[in-house]
Amino acid sequence: MASGIEIESLRKEFAGDVVAVDDLSLEVAEGEFMVLVGPSGCGKSTTLRMVAGLEEATAGTIRIGGRDVTALPPRKRDIAMVFQSYALYAHMSVRDNIGFGLKMAGVPKPQIADKVAEAAEILGMTDLLDRKPRQLSGGQRQRVAMGRAIVREPAAFLMDEPLSNLDAKLRVEMRGEITSLQRRIGTPTLYVTHDQTEAMTMGDRVAILRDGVLEQLGTPAELYDRPGNMFVASFIGSPAMNLIEARCEAVNGRPRLRIGDSVLNVPDAVARRCGSLPEYTGRDLCVGIRPEDFVSTAGAEQPETIEIAVTRAESLGSELFVYFQTVGTQASPGIVGDELGEATETPALARESLTARLERGTIVEPGARARLLVDTERLYFFDLETGAALT
Amino acid sequence: MRPSRPALTLRAIGIALLVAWSLGPVLVGVMTSLETQKEAQQVPARWVPSDPNTEYYAALLGGEQTSGRSSDAASDASEFPRAFVNTVLLTVASTVVVLLIAVLAGYGFSRLRFTGSRPLFWLVLATMIIPVFTLVVALYRLLAEFDLIDSFLGLVLVFVATTSPLAIWLFYNYTRELPPEPEESALIDGCTRFQAFRKVVLPQMTSGIAALTAIVMLAVWGQFLIPLLLSSSVETKPVTVVITEFIGKYTTNYPLLTAAGILAMIPPAIVALVLNRHIRGMLSAGG
Repeated sequence: MASGIEIESLRKEFAGDVVAVDDLSLEVAEGEFMVLVGPSGCGKSTTLRMVAGLEEATAGTIRIGGRDVTALPPRKRDIAMVFQSYALYAHMSVRDNIGFGLKMAGVPKPQIADKVAEAAEILGMTDLLDRKPRQLSGGQRQRVAMGRAIVREPAAFLMDEPLSNLDAKLRVEMRGEITSLQRRIGTPTLYVTHDQTEAMTMGDRVAILRDGVLEQLGTPAELYDRPGNMFVASFIGSPAMNLIEARCEAVNGRPRLRIGDSVLNVPDAVARRCGSLPEYTGRDLCVGIRPEDFVSTAGAEQPETIEIAVTRAESLGSELFVYFQTVGTQASPGIVGDELGEATETPALARESLTARLERGTIVEPGARARLLVDTERLYFFDLETGAALT
Repeated sequence: MRPSRPALTLRAIGIALLVAWSLGPVLVGVMTSLETQKEAQQVPARWVPSDPNTEYYAALLGGEQTSGRSSDAASDASEFPRAFVNTVLLTVASTVVVLLIAVLAGYGFSRLRFTGSRPLFWLVLATMIIPVFTLVVALYRLLAEFDLIDSFLGLVLVFVATTSPLAIWLFYNYTRELPPEPEESALIDGCTRFQAFRKVVLPQMTSGIAALTAIVMLAVWGQFLIPLLLSSSVETKPVTVVITEFIGKYTTNYPLLTAAGILAMIPPAIVALVLNRHIRGMLSAGG
């Protein structure tokens, strides 16, 4: 079966030797919803624009539906794109907006009318067909943009942060609508966002980009459970994973970690999973602990706990976010995953905020000391120099 | 924060002074145009006509021969209607051509990437630095070479050449501020670049085109030096040139002169008033 979208060794250089995308290879399978995610300037939108034909690739190949489209203009690529700003044609009615692509393709008028009506039905906007875009709300405009995309039955959908202009509630709603619509239609989709929540909730697979380079590609669960490096570890998950500098020690051949004044024993299962850990004995490494892998012990000293100094606590009603520093370390030990290879110098603010997500009702006072139990079965380890996950 | 009362008062006084400064001469012109020649020449000057009459307006619009009248030596209103029509024709023709050039060039320079785009753009802008008055002799010779002196075509060509760079620059700035996504969407929806321009970008530009129309019309309507040098017959002379002919060697018919000025001012004033909102939008684009 022909693949949906294939990107092979794609590269984009802008004037002044700026490399926006570097040797990127991806394959969006038939029917797959792939999310390209990364911080601003990581090259995700440039990649999408190259796939659309709006930006010329410096090198590499793009195939859509098995056809090499690298040198083709956008109109010959058989794609539909949804833009962040929706890019509706302000002077046309909703009906004409949705039917525009079909009209350009020379589809007979009665057929256009049928298809537009069908798309409007699917998107629940039959009543809005005669309105102009300016008479629509943000969510309705979003739907028109979707309608314009689906009505053409293209070989691939491209979406460039289509939910960014919506308010939080509508964004959640539209997230569900877009994914269920895509699953129903089965068109391969490349979706760009900077929002990791969108990436995790919408993508069949997620590709994480940084500085134009693919950091990791996998299902949301794979990225969450087995991040390949500190960048991915800190990018996926909200709040971000805590990355803490620790000393690896060994007692009777069993590894343990010293974080400031606290000591964590590494369970056998974890040590087995991470075979290279013994090589770090006597050296510093980076330990990753997700905020949700802490449990409050109400101050009691127990094994596998760390002592913390609480700086701030925020209750969301359903849960409590506690921001803290570990006791016994210099200033604060947090590491920002974005700074692979330069982990020694981190901004003070980033260092100060380690985070724990605790159950509601937990009593934590800012300024006080507390002990947090760590789920050591879910520890992550990274090399401080390269940022790579230890395996 | 709301401005304080003294600040508001100061602002109101400032605006009133500016309005008086701009409209004062117009008001004096209106008053003078309603006086008789004798009244207009009185010393000390009378600011309000004792017996307002629209005789000179009627003469101008009717194209009456006024120079025969005893008090109206050296002034002849008969050329005025033709000159008015000439101005309208010159303005419309020049504006249409400038719009065509500026819209396409402004769009091209801001949206299309082609070899030499930057140098060409700067070259176009550089022509704005050269005052047209320094070129009139060369222009005259050039037009004479092509037998275009005292012709509509010659005047339109010169107006287009002198007005286009500013128009291109204004439209370039305007286009740069338009969102490019609708055009990109049209390209994906199956349009060629030109189809996308015609079907999607051009309708996006209506406000800018309206503003540019007004700006170019106002600029061309007021042209004086170039037609003074390049047009000599009643067939091509615009109203700006004809009005100056009301100033005689020995006497000047002030009511006739000011009435002609007021009449000539009406069309651009209407254009400016109607398209004011768009003009402001365009002049603040890229700022």
